[in-house]
Amino acid sequence: MNRAGNSKKRPPPSNTPPAVKHRATGNSTPSPAIGTLDDEFMVDEDVFLDEALLYGDEDEESLILRDIEERESRSSAWARPPLSPAYLSNSQIFQQLEIDSIISESHKELLPGSSGQAPIIRMFGVTREGNSVCCFVHGFEPYFYIACPPGMGPDDISKFHQILEGRMRESNKNAKVPKFVRRIEMVQKRSIMYYQQQESQTFLKITVALPTMVASCRGILDRGLQIDGFGMKSFQTYESNIIFVLRFMVDCDIVGGNWIEVPTGKYKKNARTLSYCQLEFHCLYSDLISHAAEGEYSKMAPFRVLSFDIECAGRKGHFPEAKHDPVIQIANLVTLQGEDHPFVRNVMTLKSCAPIVGVDVMSFETEREVLLAWRDLIRDVDPDIIIGYNICKFDLPYLIERAATLGIEEFPLLGRVKNSRVRVRDSTFSSRQQGIRESKETTIEGRFQFDLIQAIHRDHKLSSYSLNSVSAHFLSEQKEDVHHSIITDLQNGNAETRRRLAVYCLKDAYLPQRLLDKLMFIYNYVEMARVTGVPISFLLARGQSIKVLSQLLRKAKQKNLVLPNAKQSGSEQGTYEGATVLEARTGFYEKPIATLDFASLYPSIMMAYNLCYCTLVTPEDVRKLNLPPEHVTRTPSGETFVKQSLQKGILPEILEELLTARKRAKADLKEAKDPLEKAVLDGRQLALKISANSVYGFTGATNGQLPCLEISSSVTSYGRQMIEQTKKLVEDKFTTLGGYEYNAEVIYGDTDSVMVQFGVSDVEAAMNLGREAAEHISGTFIKPIKLEFEKVYFPYLLINKKRYAGLLWTNPQQFDKMDTKGIETVRRDNCLLVKNLVTESLNKILIDRDVPGAAENVKKTISDLLMNRIDLSLLVITKGLTKTGDDYEVKSAHGELAERMRKRDAATAPNVGDRVPYVIIKAAKGAKAYERSEDPIYVLQNNIPIDPNYYLENQISKPLLRIFEPVLKNASKELLHGSHTRSISITTPSNSGIMKFAKKQLSCVGCKVPISNGTLCASCKGREAELYCKNVSQVAELEEVFGRLWTQCQECQGSLHQDVLCTSRDCPIFYRRMKAQKDMAVARQQLDRWSF
Amino acid sequence: MEIDSEKIHERKHSDYNSLQDERFEIQKEMYRGQQYSQIYFVRLHLMRTLLYSLAPTWKPHLPVCKVLGLEKGKECVIVGTLFKHMKLKPCVLDEYSKERSVTPLVKPHNFMHPDDNLILEDESGRVKLAGSALSPAIYVTGVVVALHGKETNAGEFFVEDVLEAGLPPQIERPIDLQDDKYVVLLSGLCIGSKSAIPLQFQLLVDHITGHLGDEEEQGLAAQIVHVVIAGNSVEFPRKLINGQNLASKDQSTLYEPIKELDIMLNQIAAGVSVDIMPGTNDPANFALPQQPLNRCLFPGSSPYNTFRSCTNPHSFDLDNIRFLGTSGQNIDDLDKYSEAKSKLDFVERTLRWRHLAPTAPNTLGCYPFTDRDPFLIETCPHVYFVGNQEKYDNRLLKGSEGQLVRLICIPKFCETGIAVAVNLRNLDCHTLSFSTQINQS
Repeated sequence: MNRAGNSKKRPPPSNTPPAVKHRATGNSTPSPAIGTLDDEFMVDEDVFLDEALLYGDEDEESLILRDIEERESRSSAWARPPLSPAYLSNSQIFQQLEIDSIISESHKELLPGSSGQAPIIRMFGVTREGNSVCCFVHGFEPYFYIACPPGMGPDDISKFHQILEGRMRESNKNAKVPKFVRRIEMVQKRSIMYYQQQESQTFLKITVALPTMVASCRGILDRGLQIDGFGMKSFQTYESNIIFVLRFMVDCDIVGGNWIEVPTGKYKKNARTLSYCQLEFHCLYSDLISHAAEGEYSKMAPFRVLSFDIECAGRKGHFPEAKHDPVIQIANLVTLQGEDHPFVRNVMTLKSCAPIVGVDVMSFETEREVLLAWRDLIRDVDPDIIIGYNICKFDLPYLIERAATLGIEEFPLLGRVKNSRVRVRDSTFSSRQQGIRESKETTIEGRFQFDLIQAIHRDHKLSSYSLNSVSAHFLSEQKEDVHHSIITDLQNGNAETRRRLAVYCLKDAYLPQRLLDKLMFIYNYVEMARVTGVPISFLLARGQSIKVLSQLLRKAKQKNLVLPNAKQSGSEQGTYEGATVLEARTGFYEKPIATLDFASLYPSIMMAYNLCYCTLVTPEDVRKLNLPPEHVTRTPSGETFVKQSLQKGILPEILEELLTARKRAKADLKEAKDPLEKAVLDGRQLALKISANSVYGFTGATNGQLPCLEISSSVTSYGRQMIEQTKKLVEDKFTTLGGYEYNAEVIYGDTDSVMVQFGVSDVEAAMNLGREAAEHISGTFIKPIKLEFEKVYFPYLLINKKRYAGLLWTNPQQFDKMDTKGIETVRRDNCLLVKNLVTESLNKILIDRDVPGAAENVKKTISDLLMNRIDLSLLVITKGLTKTGDDYEVKSAHGELAERMRKRDAATAPNVGDRVPYVIIKAAKGAKAYERSEDPIYVLQNNIPIDPNYYLENQISKPLLRIFEPVLKNASKELLHGSHTRSISITTPSNSGIMKFAKKQLSCVGCKVPISNGTLCASCKGREAELYCKNVSQVAELEEVFGRLWTQCQECQGSLHQDVLCTSRDCPIFYRRMKAQKDMAVARQQLDRWSF
Repeated sequence: MEIDSEKIHERKHSDYNSLQDERFEIQKEMYRGQQYSQIYFVRLHLMRTLLYSLAPTWKPHLPVCKVLGLEKGKECVIVGTLFKHMKLKPCVLDEYSKERSVTPLVKPHNFMHPDDNLILEDESGRVKLAGSALSPAIYVTGVVVALHGKETNAGEFFVEDVLEAGLPPQIERPIDLQDDKYVVLLSGLCIGSKSAIPLQFQLLVDHITGHLGDEEEQGLAAQIVHVVIAGNSVEFPRKLINGQNLASKDQSTLYEPIKELDIMLNQIAAGVSVDIMPGTNDPANFALPQQPLNRCLFPGSSPYNTFRSCTNPHSFDLDNIRFLGTSGQNIDDLDKYSEAKSKLDFVERTLRWRHLAPTAPNTLGCYPFTDRDPFLIETCPHVYFVGNQEKYDNRLLKGSEGQLVRLICIPKFCETGIAVAVNLRNLDCHTLSFSTQINQS
């Protein structure tokens, strides 16, 4: 406790020390026991109290002084670098990260003529030197287009303006703007939809006062207006559903995360600042200079990344709720983007906490102080990016709600805007790719929240998304998991146990940062934002289509095109035929299979055939326009598109740019030496690839922004045609008649690849033929459609459509890896045994080429399963509990179990949101599957027999047969019903009804005959040595396992001298560890019978 | 058997005391949920008391701190248990994420990697160690040392100097020994394995019992006062013992090697006292300390009071000369997790660290003791032997306080045909080599 005391109170305003001196120094001076004043020893106590007070006074003052010092040194360590004095004379250059808009009084100086409310864009960012910036952009107004009715002239427009203004006034009574519809101008534009021969038409650009008015104005125009001389008329609106911020970015050529420059003299500084940023200024949107992400401007500013985690002390049996349970610790790490190590590492704890090396431990006596210290940290450190694991759904809302419960008014001032409170609201996010997800949205103005769980959910398919299994997957290390019921116990212990908790909390704060670095999220997301042009926060919060829309808008603007506002026609347009899959000729191929891949097939098709909104010819126009056949293409799905010679499509243009940019990025990547530069370029090429592929999806999204099924169905129809054509060409050319050694055979084809068996048994020969075929066939396609040869599978196990496994070769010397697709090794509701068995079998079949060995292994495992020799942790099935048992309409195994566990012990039973691990046990005949689930720990403790048949039939058999059927005759009979399935061993449960009446009797170790004393019966006496050897080797085996398991857990927890606390049920060795301990005790007991 | 010589050699005798083994015996101790933290705790506690007593003479001017008490830039002495973070160390968890890589990443016999680093831990916390004074190649997890250095800005502890506990004090060696008396050490008989040649062992037994050679040789044999078999006496196919009942045919293959061993031991025990220690392959438990092989395995020899089944590690006094030895697991494990020029260097290190098996329980299986760490070496032995090594080697080590220790690597008998004889009088040692090879010309 020698390190700076543990209680860091904020200095009181006056010099008078507080009356009560209660300090939680570990070996503290006897604290004046206020609660015992009613004792008879009051007099004595009083004298003592006085001394304590005196003593305390000095102590207090020096402590206060030290506190002030510490606070100051902390603040200086936390603060951003000071502004250089010359900053006002330079132009301001910064990298923006967050852009939003507010409605406020318009700026009198910058916009002298205007008054009333106006939309103001706010950009938050960081300069190269690491200073935070808030830039207010004025003068940008929301607008949209409508087609100008034929015959409407400039005079009619002012009339139209008046009518519209009147209608707007009716429906927006509360708005305080002098004029709703600012302007209506005539512009020459063209709609993006359909091929049109005339260059342009007249459109009306309607500018309104506030962004929200776009929608109401659109509503009015949709419903129709009575206009003198034109009658009742409704209007198709264009670009009326574009988010205001995106509109601004498109028009100013700003993309997410790029560098912005505001030249000297073009910005104004207000005397009264509105934000906590170091630099704050106002400018006109027309004065902004947006730098493309090239050269110097492709770099990243030194963003400050805060990674944090909170711990709450929940009540027994309940998941922590902000209404009741205190926040007890907050661990924080602040890292500068691009650096390896955090420069701030601290943990704020409620009550004292023993020091931790390299970490600033800040202990407080009240929760209020903890929360406010965290707010101060946010204020002082001023992070640009806040990361964590599940912070959006849990940590942030919890903090806000907790502060509200405690009535800490000043807490939720976490944003960069002064006096703006952080609010939490429920949000749902739905996308076709992701499905519907419920979440909470906590807006912290000016700070970008990056929740790792969301990002990983989006980008990676995993069997579990707990921080434990995610870090096991990406960082290959297990995380210690402290059950939330233990957290409260640790908190209620002493400074040492709280330190334990703090170390755990810090680790939870550190892992998201490591994941962020490892998966290069910042680089990849910033690059994605730059490529697609949307703000970074859109990438997590919104679906794919906004990204394509942003690119489309930018391109359309260059081409003077406007996008119609899609009618939400929903399912009316129906669906279209998807990709084709060639019939799979299933089997086990022991000759090399060459794989021919179309590189970026769908983008290439769109480019090759010039498929776009603006090249599509309506059936009506096909008849009317009489286009020369050499200038049009009819797609296999029956649509007509004009060729490039008449009109170049803008989708193909976007794709071309994306793909050339990707080529360039890849070439630069090869050249690049600096690891940071590499990271940026790699992120960029990845972003470009994803973007190119999502264009096709955009046209097919029927509830999207601008669906056009004519395009998407044409794309897939071409794709199908190409696969068929490839198959035909290969099988026609590579024949014995054509001078080749064998007849080639296409055994399978998927969306964009074709698998060919050329018949040769040598990998190199197959590669050469593959290359030849690719070249030959590419020549028959229109550019840039290209068939590429990349890899050979050898051997190759084709199970059925979309399911295969094989060894992948890209060079003839050595295979690269084993590649599997669709083989359920990762499905969640499978136990580990299935995964291990499948992997091991594939390894044996494909790598060792040992089918009998693989079968032997399976048989042995099945026999082990039936003989009850399988490690229980391999049998655990885990499912998330989404609602309580009663709410499930169909009874589920895990839901029922959770109910049962709650009846046994409410404190440790799983709650909604927890993952419930269970095993299937033997139960009375006819019991339903959901009745047979049981808690693995309960099973271990009570020797409950598992049900091997369930595992055999419902878990193992299907995936195994799939693999073995192509390679083994009578696979099912051989593997699942052989002689190895005959002997069965079942443990006797120690808690079942009848066992309560059973009497334990000594039995012979050799033959189980009851004996009265000793170890062996008379007839087994001769086998003493043999039986002993068996017994002792069993113990030896267990001892080895025991040692390895427990030392591994010590390693995970990172301490040799402290007991392992972890109860992570996600960890594969948790049950094994428990079982080893129990088995060990039993085996030793058995062994001890031999010592006589 | 006929005695055809004129002179009858009388076997010499030494006083044997095996009380030293008590600490290796596990009685009535069970697996009741105890963890390994206790053993580390005891180790640290005892070693720290020792190192603290040395610190004032080692670095008189420096304060002694705990890991928590470290202050940036302030030089001090800290004492703690080392933990070696090893990249290539095999991990139980790997079984669960098996993705077979094309080429094995690790050489199976050594898990060292240039990135390995050391961490010092006491019960209050841990700190990463930096600086070149402490080589990660030499040290292993579990060693307790004192370090001189200071905390850097990165939160690491920059080590300037290292203090090991050094050789423990030694009981005085009797100087009145006049005669040559020999103790024969052997290991790795591996009866039942393919490489074991029964005749070779029989020759050794005959030599010891004086049935071999001429008078002079018999005279030498008579000077053998004790025999120690340091582990791996038998070897049988592990797969036979998988919990299932054995066919009678297999029963015999299982039992055969032990029966053979029993017959041989019987012969030795009739003439001279013999200690048998369990080893990795023997029918004994796995975790150190391995408990004595059960007497029921040796129905023939166990009635002799000259036959003793002992623990591994094993320690005994013979005419007040102290022996300490293991069947080799401790040194083999060090060989996997650290580096040295010779196996004897490992042996020497364990003595200087005052710990027989620092890697237990981390990488070496070990019983979870709660109240003691039996592997601490409190008194320095005179003879320190390690069984089942590739080749014979020995070294005489002199301590700073006049301690004199003979370090011996006993080779595997089945591979080399070599046993080691140590002279109690002067701690000299030589090999007894047996070969059944007829020179193939």
